[in-house]
Amino acid sequence: MVEGLAAIVGREWVISDPVELAVYECDGMTYLEKALPDVVVLPDGTEQVAEVVKLCDREQLPFLPRGAGTGLSGGAIAVQGGVIIGLNRMNRILEIDLANQRAVVEPGLVNIAMTQAVVDRGYYFAPDPASQAASSIGGNVAENAGGPHCLKYGTTTMHILGLELVLASGEIVQVGGKTLDCPGYDLTGLFVGSEGTLGIATKVTVRLLRQAEAVKTLLASFRTIDAASEVVSEIIATGIIPSALEMMDRHIIKALEEWLQIGYPEGSGAVLLIELDGPTAEIEAHTKRIERICAQHGVLDLRIAKDEQERTLLWKGRKGAVAAVGRITHEFYLQDGVIPRTTLPQVLRDVEAISERNALVIANVFHAGDGNLHPLICFDSRREGELQRAIAAGAEIMGLCLSVGGSITGEHGIGMEKIDFVPLMYSPDDLEAMRRVRVAFDPSLRCNPGKLLPTTRSCSEANVAYRPHRVEREGLSQRY
Amino acid sequence: MNSERLEGRLAGIVGVDHVVAAESCAPYAVDDKAPKAVVFPADAAELSEVMKLASSEQLSVVPWGSGTKISLGGIPARVDLVVGLKRLNQIIDYEPGDLTATFQAGMLLRDAQTSLHSSGQFLPFDPAHCERATIGGILATNSSGPWRHRYGTARDLVIGIRVVHADGTLTKGGAKVVKSVSGYDMNKLYVGSLGTLGIILEATLRLYPLPAVERTWIALFLTGEAAACAVAQILHSTIVCTRVELLSSFAAQSVGRPAGCTLPADTVAVAVSVGSMLEAVDAQIAAIRKFCYQEGGVAGFLVEGSAQESLWRAICDFPSASGDGWSWATLKASVPLTKVLETIHRAEALGRDLGLESTAVSDAGCGIVRLYWRGETGSLERDPALVAKRVEDLRSWVVLNGGSLVILSAPPAIKAKVDVWGPVGNALFLMQELKQRFDPQGLLNPGRFVGGI
Repeated sequence: MVEGLAAIVGREWVISDPVELAVYECDGMTYLEKALPDVVVLPDGTEQVAEVVKLCDREQLPFLPRGAGTGLSGGAIAVQGGVIIGLNRMNRILEIDLANQRAVVEPGLVNIAMTQAVVDRGYYFAPDPASQAASSIGGNVAENAGGPHCLKYGTTTMHILGLELVLASGEIVQVGGKTLDCPGYDLTGLFVGSEGTLGIATKVTVRLLRQAEAVKTLLASFRTIDAASEVVSEIIATGIIPSALEMMDRHIIKALEEWLQIGYPEGSGAVLLIELDGPTAEIEAHTKRIERICAQHGVLDLRIAKDEQERTLLWKGRKGAVAAVGRITHEFYLQDGVIPRTTLPQVLRDVEAISERNALVIANVFHAGDGNLHPLICFDSRREGELQRAIAAGAEIMGLCLSVGGSITGEHGIGMEKIDFVPLMYSPDDLEAMRRVRVAFDPSLRCNPGKLLPTTRSCSEANVAYRPHRVEREGLSQRY
Repeated sequence: MNSERLEGRLAGIVGVDHVVAAESCAPYAVDDKAPKAVVFPADAAELSEVMKLASSEQLSVVPWGSGTKISLGGIPARVDLVVGLKRLNQIIDYEPGDLTATFQAGMLLRDAQTSLHSSGQFLPFDPAHCERATIGGILATNSSGPWRHRYGTARDLVIGIRVVHADGTLTKGGAKVVKSVSGYDMNKLYVGSLGTLGIILEATLRLYPLPAVERTWIALFLTGEAAACAVAQILHSTIVCTRVELLSSFAAQSVGRPAGCTLPADTVAVAVSVGSMLEAVDAQIAAIRKFCYQEGGVAGFLVEGSAQESLWRAICDFPSASGDGWSWATLKASVPLTKVLETIHRAEALGRDLGLESTAVSDAGCGIVRLYWRGETGSLERDPALVAKRVEDLRSWVVLNGGSLVILSAPPAIKAKVDVWGPVGNALFLMQELKQRFDPQGLLNPGRFVGGI
């Protein structure tokens, strides 16, 4: 196999040394499972990707694409071994067409590089996952990545208009395009968020947006989560859609204070970061409204950034939130769930109860505007039973999200991490419809197997062995 | 099954009052093909039973909202049963604080808006015939209007969906929250699939707050080139528009009338609306005005209030007010923004060649151009092969420029001569594969979608 791959891409772009392969044993999800691929290959260009995939087809080996490996649900882990196809060399911007507000890029391009290439001319690429300095656009496509600003501008799917795909058969197809409303089924929309299970995107046509005239960033501290939640509701009820609306709870505030001494006021139980963008006249008027709303709800402190430097300062806490938690706990399990915005106060009280029940600190930093929670479940795996309790608490939070009509993941994806929760959200018939999609694209089921869709215990079409997930082995959930 | 027996079986499911059969089916003909029966289920369970009957009896099914877009698509291979969704007309769930709502497919857009407006919100859909269009119909056809400039289309707004499949199975996709990446994004598969994969039963959509103030500026230009330059200036500025339309002269005159604007002949119009707080609207309208005059605008009007509503209604519904007594073909071109004007000009030239008047209404900020060819009644049908040829000519140029050209409506004689969808590229086999797996008997709207699906 190594020789076959070397013949396609050159020996130096094939990794088979066990030590070097260890880099690829997991992605951003480091706590549940790890697995070594048999080999990693780094092709350059669509043709090479197609040749590699055809070789996998001949050898009947599973394969999966990998971008920067920043995914948080284990989507880029070679759970059944096989070939990891790293797309890092394919990182070119192929075309920038500002007159038509489009660009065509290769999948390995780092997210932030897209914006950097056009920002001087007043444009940007809107999806801004926290990982944007490292994550690739191909990975963003696979995961339908979100980010703080998707509240106003939508997730990755709204910014992807066309794709070139290499299917599991090695065939190359084009879906969508530079123009809108392409006739036929919306295969582009279907592919975005498919976590590498439908094929490999080798070219991506993205929408570029005009930068807003002005940006305004506000940081408001409140005594309680409830007060901050009410402010969120009222902002939305007023008809304002901020470009970002982020909340942090007292655990995060405490961790940040200890680390960065941001200077949140004494007694802050919740901090809201509110960002507005648009025409100057509009955001000035909206800022005044928001100031009034905050005052009515007993804001302890309200800061408004006067310039870009101050804006960066106000974001500093939010951007450092997850890292700060790393300082107060040995390990943490970063969860991702979505609830209707209006259920925020109740759900956060329930999360608190889950925290107490499992005797673990759960810190919360989240995209309050769209109800996307990111509880950080703190644990220390060196202590007996804590990992199990952390996993149990994560499962309880998933159940909580579903009980209020939400989703088990807003932006991290199913991957391996959440595959056992999928049947809690979807009926067997719902999943059967998704399997039809899977099989239409990849009848061999060798394209990133073991992700996104649970394999049924009695699955007849899958050529993959049933393998219990860790959550299952711990007796916390079961497959149907 | 003979039609009397079919009628009986259907009445057994939905009640005799909700079945139409025999000659009474004529108004439900699709491209002159009348169904054997029309059935109006009351809920998901009845719809599922109807589909089970259809699949056991191999009856082809045309889902039907209010029929405003029934002219879209190829001539159906068979029309056995029309499934009307007008009784599925409720809001299932609406929490204004979440800016989301769940609607049954047969709900009229108009009724949905009435409910949402009372909470200061709206669903940003403004397709043609929005007085009669249903939510399900808009989703199935992914139809859109000028608002797509700011708010996108059904593709961008649907967050959750429930579908009844060909065999009667009921499934859902997505969730009732604005962000979810759990499993495949099935919403995208069903939106725009013209009912060929399943019948949309209900959908959860993202809503928007009504802007505090909204105003429209209409500017007139002596040439399309000047108008297109003004549009480009606006699009590449920081002005946030809700709608940006470029109207060629006949369309401009026609839509200006109900808004009380008398527009001279032979001028091209640009209509741009801005919605926000008052001060922001004023500032941006002033900037738009400036761009228009700079690029050679010869006149302009500020339109607001009920005149503004009439204007945009007329733009969306064009040519309804001036449609009677003529024969029409309506095409939709999707092109790069920089090719909008040339598309209009080429359509005019080809229309002239056919002896037809040609006019255009274009969502210029999205590259969507609705083209209308008009002739005296019967004139389009006189030489359908030639009209078809001209559609192909226009399409070749559009496709060469990276776009697509779809026939939205045309007399069946023309549809018989030309593929209404045009080429879909090398992924057609994936679409056929999906169709095969979702509707193996080929019962749902056979022949109306791309590649004969």
